[in-house]
Amino acid sequence: MLHDSPKFYPGGDRAIEVEIGDGMDFTVNFIVHRLVAAVREAGIAAIEDIIPELASFQVNYDPDRMTYEDLTAEIGRIHAAVGSGVQGSLPSRLISIPVAYFDPQTTKCIDDYCGTYPEKQPDPELVCAANDLPDRASLMRRHSQTEYWVAALGFWPGLCSLLPLDPQARIVAPKYNPPRTWTPKGAVAIGGALTCIYPDRTPGGYQLIGHTPAPIYDGTQRLFDFRDSPALFKAGDRVRFVPVTLEEYAHVEANVAEGTFRHDIVDYQVFAVDRYLEWSAARSGKAK
Amino acid sequence: MTTAQITVLKPGLETTVQELPGRIGYLGQGFPISGPFDARSFRLANLLVGNRRDTAALECQFLGPKLRFESAGLIAITGADMRPKLDDTPIPMWTTIAIAAGQTLELSAALTGARSYIAVSGGIATPPVLGSRAVFHMAGVGGSALKRDDVLQLGESDAGGTILHVAQERRPMMAANGIWQIEALAGPNDDWLDPASVDTFFAAEWKVQAKSNRTGIRLTGPEFAFSARALDKDDAHGSHPSNIIDHGYPLGAVNLAGQTPIILVFDSPSTGGFINPFTVASAALWKLGQARPGETLRFCRIDRDQAARLRAEFNAMSSPEVLDRV
Repeated sequence: MLHDSPKFYPGGDRAIEVEIGDGMDFTVNFIVHRLVAAVREAGIAAIEDIIPELASFQVNYDPDRMTYEDLTAEIGRIHAAVGSGVQGSLPSRLISIPVAYFDPQTTKCIDDYCGTYPEKQPDPELVCAANDLPDRASLMRRHSQTEYWVAALGFWPGLCSLLPLDPQARIVAPKYNPPRTWTPKGAVAIGGALTCIYPDRTPGGYQLIGHTPAPIYDGTQRLFDFRDSPALFKAGDRVRFVPVTLEEYAHVEANVAEGTFRHDIVDYQVFAVDRYLEWSAARSGKAK
Repeated sequence: MTTAQITVLKPGLETTVQELPGRIGYLGQGFPISGPFDARSFRLANLLVGNRRDTAALECQFLGPKLRFESAGLIAITGADMRPKLDDTPIPMWTTIAIAAGQTLELSAALTGARSYIAVSGGIATPPVLGSRAVFHMAGVGGSALKRDDVLQLGESDAGGTILHVAQERRPMMAANGIWQIEALAGPNDDWLDPASVDTFFAAEWKVQAKSNRTGIRLTGPEFAFSARALDKDDAHGSHPSNIIDHGYPLGAVNLAGQTPIILVFDSPSTGGFINPFTVASAALWKLGQARPGETLRFCRIDRDQAARLRAEFNAMSSPEVLDRV
């Protein structure tokens, strides 16, 4: 699953895809982020931007400053120096996101799609069936029992891909086919083995299970937590979903409207990767 | 003295402020690069008014705006032919035009090409967002498309008032007979296609769909067949042969979602879960900014050395040497 050394694929004359593994799990993604950090640290002047993704990263570069051959060789050397061992600790914020599961906005969006495609099973029931969960309450419990790892950001400003850290909380779901034309801003949804939160009203393909009134993207940077960036999450953050009632939902919504809303962010935490992997292995063992 | 500004009388179809090199360094948070779709015409417009070639200017799409200039200055219009008029009198494109305070510029629908550029001496001085004035209209990053009664502030100009001109033969050539030749490279995911489909891509004619814009150019053409890598893969990639574990999307990538190729351009998603078998050469991207729905794209396969020569040529053709004094 993890390649011995990175595989390089040219994306035209100004981008390189660097593939670390062929699969999607925490270890592969962690190595992606560590290698990206090391490449950034190396301060290669020709590199214009880097997109860390789940099992790969993209390097955008100026080919008139450094050739494809030289740059891939350099990244290969950095990889060899960093290695594929998974240990150590890194700073990792823990952000709590209030979620109203199966709320009226989510239901309305699902009904809208099912009106056009009547053969589509409503999202919560489809996800329950795909994961042997008896009912919506057990889906909510499983989804909110774990911390999630912000594995990547992309597709749309602030859109995050979240991997559950507790192996017993794994939930999988197929994506919509065809995709939805609209998704409510703040929708919480599952596709493949990932959860995402929609930062804005956009098309989408993940199965909807709930909705958060707490913005994860603020283009105007009006709210306190967005003073440095319009996007809330950074790769390597952790997220926990906190089920809330519609009353609490309305309270948060009012604070957002007033401009006084502050996210619940614990930013003094350190994430011990090797201890996490030990715990995760023990949890997986128990699940079997 | 009042600050120089422009008042928007009619916004046009989707007129935006753009700047080069675009919003660099934020792809990892999901922000596209943005910037002008036809950087060659954009740069020439700036050079004609005495600006640095990468200065913020207006990009007009398919139907141009009507603007009132509240102060005297220099303007230039390049790109698609939108038959510009100054106070109802037709004016030439590809040349420096001196305007007086209170004059009105109106652009119509594009006759050839899709995007025109209006540069103003001093440049457009909207506040930069994440380091750039380039507008990503769909998400409202850096502002959005012009609206009626908007007022745009202009920057300080030290232009001397020299009247310049781009000769016909040095302007970007719009497609003859609606057929564009687009230079492209194989990869990053050409190995997910059957080799015969790779050849088909470079041999076929591809029609630009009406649903094309700054977030993607959708194409209609032959169907693709997939290779073993696409058909027999780890479940994490997804169920369709064109699905791949979410990865970065290069600018200019030919993204294959199911059977519809979409060329990813300046406001396209930064990442996603579909393969990119081919990528348009960076120096050929400007042509996609001028290709109109219904026109035809033919892809010509080049390698990295040829792409480097195209970049050098593109750079030379958007440099001050291209301009003549009138």
